[in-house]
Amino acid sequence: MSVQNGEHVIKMDGVKVQYGDQTVLNDIQFELRNGEFCYLIGKTGSGKSSFLKLLYRDIKPATGSVRVADMDLSNLPDRKVPLLRRRLGIIFQDFQLLPDRNAYENVAFSLKVTGHKSSVIKEKVMEALGQVGLSHKRRSMPNDLSGGEQQRVVIARALVNEPGILLADEPTGNLDPEASRSIMDLLTKINHRGMAILMVTHDYNIVRRYPNRITQIRNGSLVEKRLQ
Amino acid sequence: MNLGYLLREGFAGLRRTPLAALTSMFSLFLAVLLIGVLARVGYNLYEVAEYLKSRVEVEVFLEDLDRQSERDLEQKIEKEALVELVRYVSREEASRIFRQEFGMSGETEALAELNFLPASLKVEPVRQATVAQVDSLVGVMKELPGVADVRFNLALLETLERRSEQLALAGGLLVFFVLLTAMILVFNTIRLTIYAKRDLIRAMKLVGATNRFIRGPFVVEGMLQGAIAGGLALGLIVAGFEGVLPKLITRTDLLGWPYGEWYYLVGALFFLSVWMGWAGSFWAARRFIRNERI
Repeated sequence: MSVQNGEHVIKMDGVKVQYGDQTVLNDIQFELRNGEFCYLIGKTGSGKSSFLKLLYRDIKPATGSVRVADMDLSNLPDRKVPLLRRRLGIIFQDFQLLPDRNAYENVAFSLKVTGHKSSVIKEKVMEALGQVGLSHKRRSMPNDLSGGEQQRVVIARALVNEPGILLADEPTGNLDPEASRSIMDLLTKINHRGMAILMVTHDYNIVRRYPNRITQIRNGSLVEKRLQ
Repeated sequence: MNLGYLLREGFAGLRRTPLAALTSMFSLFLAVLLIGVLARVGYNLYEVAEYLKSRVEVEVFLEDLDRQSERDLEQKIEKEALVELVRYVSREEASRIFRQEFGMSGETEALAELNFLPASLKVEPVRQATVAQVDSLVGVMKELPGVADVRFNLALLETLERRSEQLALAGGLLVFFVLLTAMILVFNTIRLTIYAKRDLIRAMKLVGATNRFIRGPFVVEGMLQGAIAGGLALGLIVAGFEGVLPKLITRTDLLGWPYGEWYYLVGALFFLSVWMGWAGSFWAARRFIRNERI
């Protein structure tokens, strides 16, 4: 990533998202700087996931401009979407690990699809698994790992391509409080190394325990919030 | 994306979802088996019709000529473009054939002794000659001096030609519809196979794989399925037509392998099977991957 510290890694201007006649997001202005950690909160169905989908170009805005990792997504041709996603790390609540591959292979998969050599893949995967504390479980299949460990593998997969931004959609949503805390500790550590993180959550305990910038989606618009 | 990766992932795809792969392969297997049997029987029918046509001889009965005039007439007919072969049958040979065909009763013996049958020329038209062309050749030969009469089985030839054309049309239509049904079946089965792997596709899209990269292993897997299914179907066809059928049916004219070069058919069907696997998986993967969201 060529983004320098302090520069915008995400910039949205006048963005509107519609599904049919229904407007989900309206006139969104949003910026995320390099190294920043921001929570995106809001009620179920408020448009949090749509907001993230805009950022990895799973959907296009009806109006407005979206810039992510130096790419203008409003005019990004479909064939360049994979290039955008290689600059992002994406984490989901439901893990989305490949059940028939072990932890190592799941992380390595990310590099295989981007055409890295096996020697590079081995080195980077071991490093990423080390960062999430799972080197010793590299041969375990997803079903043999706990929820927290599976989410760590997902984080390792997101980190292995050395992205500039991490987009996390409810990463602790399926985890017990202890596992949630361990994932949040890990994300905080990653953020302290300089990676920008945008995390969707509705868990206020986490927001209070790990204070960061908070943005709320309310009635389709963004509101900056402060902890009470 | 290298060939090694494609082959490894293609084979791994078969291993990872064996049930879906088996379903696709079964569709391909049935399609190749059906088309193979149809093609084999159809080709044999065509060959039989052609063989029967080639057996139809035109008999040119000669007037009472000296041997030299008979030879001149024979040479003249041989020079006709539509003539493949001319064979001279003397009066004596005609009597001998008559005895053989009608037995040696006193009555036939007396008739044969009379040596009443004329000398003739048995004319075999070239294989590709149509009935109309043979008919016009007959007209030409009838006008030659020294020819008493020309006989040939016009009705049989016409029936054979008509039936051959009808057979080719019906067979062609049948193969077309079997092929179409097979393609729809294969396409949908492979689409279901790909749908079963939607998690894999989503994960690949998530980490920035291009649609082409995602499609590659599916297409290779489809081609492998085509090769395996085609190989099994062709093995069964060859074993059936060469090993089993000749033992069950004594006369295997329409079912056996005696006609044509079997390896052309085997090669063509194998190619068809691999192609169906490729086309089915390519279209299905292309549509599905393009429309699938993360």
